[in-house]
Amino acid sequence: MYSVLKGCGKTAAKLVAIALPVLVASYAPDTLAIPAFARQTGQNCVACHAGGQFPELTPYGRLFKLTGYTIGERNIPISAMAVVTDTMVRSRNDPNPGGFAKGDFPAQNGTPIFNTASIFLAGKVTDNIGGFAQWTVNQYDHLDGGGNWQSNTVSDNADIRYVDRFINANNDVIVGLTFNNNPSVQDVWNSAPAWGFDLVPGSNPAGFPAKPQLGGALAQQVVGLGAYAYWNKTVYAELSVYRTADKFWSFMSQGFDSTDGTRSRLVNNTPYARIALTKEWGAHNFMVGAMAMAPEVYNDPTQPPGSPTTKYRDIGIDAQYQYILDPHTVTAQFSYINERIHYDPSVAGMPGAYDSLMGTASQPLTNTTDRLNLFRAKASYVYRAKYGGSLSYYNLSGSYNSLNQMGIPGDLTAGGLNNSVSSNVTGKPDTVAWIPEVFWIPVQNARVGMQYSMFTKYQGAKNNYDGWGRNAKDNDALFLYVWGAY
Amino acid sequence: MNKLLTLGIVVGTMSVAACVNLDRSRTLGNPSVSGSVLAIQVCSNCHGVDGNSTSPAIPRLAGQQATYIVNQMKTFRGHERSDPAGQESMWGISRHLTDQQITDLAAYFSKQKAQPNPSADTPQLIAQGKEIFENGIPDQNVIACSACHGPTAQGIEAFPRLANQHADYIVKQLNVFQNTQGRPGTPMEAVTHPLTGAHKAAVAAYLQNFPN
Repeated sequence: MYSVLKGCGKTAAKLVAIALPVLVASYAPDTLAIPAFARQTGQNCVACHAGGQFPELTPYGRLFKLTGYTIGERNIPISAMAVVTDTMVRSRNDPNPGGFAKGDFPAQNGTPIFNTASIFLAGKVTDNIGGFAQWTVNQYDHLDGGGNWQSNTVSDNADIRYVDRFINANNDVIVGLTFNNNPSVQDVWNSAPAWGFDLVPGSNPAGFPAKPQLGGALAQQVVGLGAYAYWNKTVYAELSVYRTADKFWSFMSQGFDSTDGTRSRLVNNTPYARIALTKEWGAHNFMVGAMAMAPEVYNDPTQPPGSPTTKYRDIGIDAQYQYILDPHTVTAQFSYINERIHYDPSVAGMPGAYDSLMGTASQPLTNTTDRLNLFRAKASYVYRAKYGGSLSYYNLSGSYNSLNQMGIPGDLTAGGLNNSVSSNVTGKPDTVAWIPEVFWIPVQNARVGMQYSMFTKYQGAKNNYDGWGRNAKDNDALFLYVWGAY
Repeated sequence: MNKLLTLGIVVGTMSVAACVNLDRSRTLGNPSVSGSVLAIQVCSNCHGVDGNSTSPAIPRLAGQQATYIVNQMKTFRGHERSDPAGQESMWGISRHLTDQQITDLAAYFSKQKAQPNPSADTPQLIAQGKEIFENGIPDQNVIACSACHGPTAQGIEAFPRLANQHADYIVKQLNVFQNTQGRPGTPMEAVTHPLTGAHKAAVAAYLQNFPN
């Protein structure tokens, strides 16, 4: 930690230098400085975002979204977002920048980078229709064959709605249709996988080793149409159907491609169900909910129909609590997703054993089924919508499978682009992390923050998870960011 | 690009087909939408469909004096009222409302029935507040609230109803009157001048728990 912090002052100065334009832009005249939804309602960001910590929604923000983003008046429907970051990881495999530093992680370790930028098309269309669609440029998306970082432009989250609301003294029913490209992005509670955790791009340089299908694995790779109802601010129920965002719908998954294997391909239309119970009392509000999804996904998205598939059955439960009364905002979320994985008979049940000398990258499956459990929790406090902190907990666990075992053969110090950060010699995905954060919101549409990710387990082990002596805590990282939206 | 064009045409067609829904509109910039519809479709999100808001951060409007609501909406619209909480939410909501819409939404909320709003405050605190509300504290130049707001705290015309209002909201507004220029044009700046924090807490507790 000390060595990481030592360079903090120097790099913080660089971060400020890069981030200054973001902050300056945030002070620009209203026509430039206020995101599209705020322009539409004329309200401050804090009306919809709890303690100003976008994107977490207040009770009013949730109703704004549930009513299809139709409150207010049509305005210029364009917004932009930018994130400048600086990551300092506790230990790299090769500290020598002349070695294979580019292939090591994270991108530009210790150097402020203009990480991502997004454009939003967002706003009210008619009395019943509204939505948003986001396109994002990831500046440090992947390495090319020469070891240079390449950017990638992707169609990010999108949620377009048709909504009506029937309300009188006795009943309040919001009914709507949502068309989106990420299961749970339509959710209004921040315990939902699409909204609750790892929201700042690049905040976790090592990455988490596996995602349940319901936990983001299908994000921006599918399109779904759902119908929902919210009754008397008490019961929310939704049923959606998702399919691969290919052919006509490929514009919803731009940046992912099934032909090169980067976009998952679902076998059929996949149902997604969501229910939530909500209660407000005084300055408090609470939600407890559940969600389920059962996609069948081609093992190799480049292969034709009839090729082997994997069946998933995901069930999630989640809850959220908020206390919002100026000057205090307290929020807490938890989410637990249980995933059962059923492999295709043609590839499951094969004997296999990891060969540490070979460092084999792909082992035969030893299981016919696997399980994956993802538990996440987060608590935050914000004072006067300006100064805040949060503590997140991440716990991924799952069954042993030799398929998960991947290593790097040979001498790591010999150079090249390979690194063992994502290697796994345990065959288990188990990863546990604590992530404290402090942040400052100098103006309503900019946030400056610092996180520290602390791993107590990574890829199934506390120590030597890669077979080359790398420990979980080596992935600990200090992360500074400036996040602006305008 | 062709796909985007197609999607644009689809959305555009849907937009034309479902362009106006005056009975259930949430549009704030259309004079054709009645104030009562806006009260139900927009204002109710925070203030409650019956005007009895749940959050203490949001003032209750049930049974509020229509004249008072109209005045406040117009001062939000004109940016004369600038207390932070009101400004953050209400400047935008009110910016393009017509006088008629404001009159109509005020009439809607003034006709709603105020519900009891019990709190966990002690009987002693509530009794202190009752004393200040009804009699003031003459030797400290604190005048009785009831002199303007009425013996049942129901308000009259431009003087707001205070009965069953959230205590947190009352205290914060008393602080605005006392310490800022955020709500000009009322006698409250002078009225609140001698109030201590204990006075404000007591009278606010009494008003929230006002006997119906």
